[in-house]
Amino acid sequence: MDKIWRITKYEYTRHVFQKRFLFSLLSLPILILVMFAVSILVAFVSIDKTPLGYVDRSGVLDLAAREVKDSTLFNPVIEFIPYQSTEGAETALNNGQIQAYYLLPETYPQNLDVQLVFIEEPAYEIQAQFSDFVAQNLSLFDNLDPQVERRLAEGSQLKITALDGSRETSQDQWYTILTPLIAGILFFFVVITSGGYLLQAVVEEKENRTMEIVITSVSPGQLMTGKIIGDIGVGLTQLLIWILFGWGSLMIGAKYLPALQDFSLPPEYLIVFLGILIPAFIMISAVLAAIGATVTELREAQQFQSLVILPVMIPYYIVSTFMANPNGTLATILSFVPITAPIAMLLRMSFTIVPTWQVILTSMILILSAIFAIWFAGRAFRLGMLQYGKRLTIKEVFRKQVQQ
Amino acid sequence: MAIITAHNISKRFGETQAVDQLSFEVQPGEIFGLLGPNGAGKTTSIRMILDIFQPDSGEISVLDGPMNEEKKNHIGYMPEERGLYQDIPLERCLLFLASLKGMDSANAKSQLETYLRHLDLYDVRDKKVKELSKGMQQKAQLIATLIHEPELVIIDEPFTSLDPVNTEIVKKLLEQKRDEGKAIIMSTHQMSQVEELCNRILLINHGQRVLYGTLQDIQSQFASRDILVTPLTELPGVIEGVAEVKKLNGRYRLILDQDAQPNQILKNMIQAGIEITQFEIATPPLNQIFIEVVRQQERAQNG
Repeated sequence: MDKIWRITKYEYTRHVFQKRFLFSLLSLPILILVMFAVSILVAFVSIDKTPLGYVDRSGVLDLAAREVKDSTLFNPVIEFIPYQSTEGAETALNNGQIQAYYLLPETYPQNLDVQLVFIEEPAYEIQAQFSDFVAQNLSLFDNLDPQVERRLAEGSQLKITALDGSRETSQDQWYTILTPLIAGILFFFVVITSGGYLLQAVVEEKENRTMEIVITSVSPGQLMTGKIIGDIGVGLTQLLIWILFGWGSLMIGAKYLPALQDFSLPPEYLIVFLGILIPAFIMISAVLAAIGATVTELREAQQFQSLVILPVMIPYYIVSTFMANPNGTLATILSFVPITAPIAMLLRMSFTIVPTWQVILTSMILILSAIFAIWFAGRAFRLGMLQYGKRLTIKEVFRKQVQQ
Repeated sequence: MAIITAHNISKRFGETQAVDQLSFEVQPGEIFGLLGPNGAGKTTSIRMILDIFQPDSGEISVLDGPMNEEKKNHIGYMPEERGLYQDIPLERCLLFLASLKGMDSANAKSQLETYLRHLDLYDVRDKKVKELSKGMQQKAQLIATLIHEPELVIIDEPFTSLDPVNTEIVKKLLEQKRDEGKAIIMSTHQMSQVEELCNRILLINHGQRVLYGTLQDIQSQFASRDILVTPLTELPGVIEGVAEVKKLNGRYRLILDQDAQPNQILKNMIQAGIEITQFEIATPPLNQIFIEVVRQQERAQNG
């Protein structure tokens, strides 16, 4: 046990305190930051703050009744200018005094027809401001409580709740869809980088013959377990830093984007991530380590690595199937097949409420697969290290009588 | 009590019988030479001792019983194909390997410093392993083999990349370990090193035991009754008890009469007033024994 820990510590420090790790760690947040900055810049530049005109022939609108929300960076309050005639508005539009104007005809209260005249279509936020303004002025029914009327004007809000009340989702809770998707992508990145380190470490150890010394100090099982735990540690460190970064960005972002303010995650998510993603991570790492033990060159190892990594992504390639029928046969089967299970399960969780027994079953399958993969890696390692310059076949790993 | 007892061990790889019914013992406090031509089965034997392979048949007892994980802490192994982590500083590499032998870090650090200073590597301890010369890496490897004070040391070709000065340092170190009571198995092709260091040897060929015993026994087994003499002046043509005198490069080889004894010859020569600077019984060098024995076996196999 002590030796496993020593190997773990060595593997962990040897990767985490390297420039290469720092680069891969920072590259993703920096990429996101840059994209974020660019989109802010684009949004900032593209929002036209020129006033909006309107011609109200129906007499519904009262500018004094406009309730103005706080102006934000992405949603600056636009001034509305009433015009008596379309000619006046037209001239103002052509002179650039307004960016567009709305025309509410006399028949507006009956058929709710509105015209928008523009040279370049105003941004969605600006149109929304006018919609709000109209809604505030509407009085569709007589003798109706103004609060009820306001509520009617805001439209519907769909909320789906599980029968036992355990989970619910609504169109405002965009993060219940986005979080599993993002978690899947992060999982994939982490598996690629830290799994890649592990593969490299094993192949190098074989290439530079350190293996024979190590193996006369510890058992192959100890070596593999230590390496894999170290690798998981590297991956989790990476993940943790990214999550902290994401969390920080959310906190900062929430100050500017109201949509981020109601972000919160159901606690089951965390349990599911731990019960599915961690064993999946261990399983894939162990398979990569086994590959490292059976091949002779790093280049060859990398080819095999992509053979393992690509199937992990299969659910993303057929994401439309998951959207259309997240509890369908294909989606369900893929969420039980060890190599596709982590991403498949996350996708299903994005689009539906997965039965609890299925989540537990997937978790069990992945835990068993992880244990098997570690055993397999230890065995492959023991056989592989003795065959310099010759590749080990999978058959041999299973067949050869090697006493532990 | 023997450190290693191998009894009739055999190992076959496909068509090749790598080790064939081999038996030997290694005692504490000796340097045991494991010799043989390339492909004789030396490395396979070592790997069976270390439990990297299991023998197909036969038994090996290491440190009183079958090999287990705990015993790995009391064994030091330096394989022929050297291996150290290349990309990290020397000190870190050796401390890690020491920790895998169960050493605690304080003990490992102080031992390491002693060894690094002794083998003149202290100044390069912060350099990456790959930046060190071949000889330095080899010395570093030796530290990894010895740092945990193993009861059993197995070293494969310890002198290949070393200059004469370092060879001498390493030899002294191995002798010191032997005198401390450790058992050392040394596999090498450098017969002069074997002659200088080994107490006992095992010569194998085609996986079989060819010679086994103390160095003296084996050498005297192959010794002729000839005498090598280096006189100050020319030797007279006739010496009592000597059948024939052969002139070699600066010295003479005396072939004795059937019943003559070397002591008597020496006496006779001194009485004859011959001044002698060197007088020795012609033991064949191990090198010669090695070649002779291996050739003999080849002939026996081919005929």
